[in-house]
Amino acid sequence: MSDERKKILDMLQKGKITVEEAEKLLAALVSPEETKSGVEKPACKYLKVIVEPGPQSEDRERVNIRVPIKLIRAGLKFAAFVPKHAHASINQALHEKGIEMDFNQFTQQDIEDLVSQLSDLTVEVEGKEKVRICCE
Amino acid sequence: MIPMLMRLKVSRNPKARGLLLPVFLVWILLFALMLVLLPFVLVAALITWPSGQGKWLLLTYPMLISVLFHLSGLHIEVEGRDENVLIAFL
Repeated sequence: MSDERKKILDMLQKGKITVEEAEKLLAALVSPEETKSGVEKPACKYLKVIVEPGPQSEDRERVNIRVPIKLIRAGLKFAAFVPKHAHASINQALHEKGIEMDFNQFTQQDIEDLVSQLSDLTVEVEGKEKVRICCE
Repeated sequence: MIPMLMRLKVSRNPKARGLLLPVFLVWILLFALMLVLLPFVLVAALITWPSGQGKWLLLTYPMLISVLFHLSGLHIEVEGRDENVLIAFL
């Protein structure tokens, strides 16, 4: 339960607000996506990367990496340390990989948005190897 | 919470349990080193402040501590044909 919900319920318990007011406040806390699904999305704690050999692969190599989301968030803050003269090289490298993004425009808020949206990420690739990237 | 132990395994046998290393000893040494270096970092930050780099130099310490504190739960496991490697912070 979030802090906001607890506060509202506390206020209701203490009689500071009416049941109708509490209902309105609780409804205001629910995002439109949650309203649609009716289920609160669990917070994503880890980013998992699993690489397994495919059904036809003779290779027996397996990779299992689990990175805490908080570590990703903390690590990405180091992007601010990239010297300004290196931004052009980064933009060039991104362009060569087909990513049209200006690193100069990449702000702290963008990092926060990027990490917060990781919970929706699920990548599954099946070929010679099975690759699965997901949040849990 | 900062990880206190690290599980390390480099073995040919996939069932091997590996070593449980007390990484808190490393953190103690690292924090002692950071404390020793702090005056130099402050002087460097003051010198480089006009260029704008000083601010980032000062932020190095909290950022580094933030990374260390969130290492807990990191799990890297690679199983190869010849060797298995596992690094996990507990």
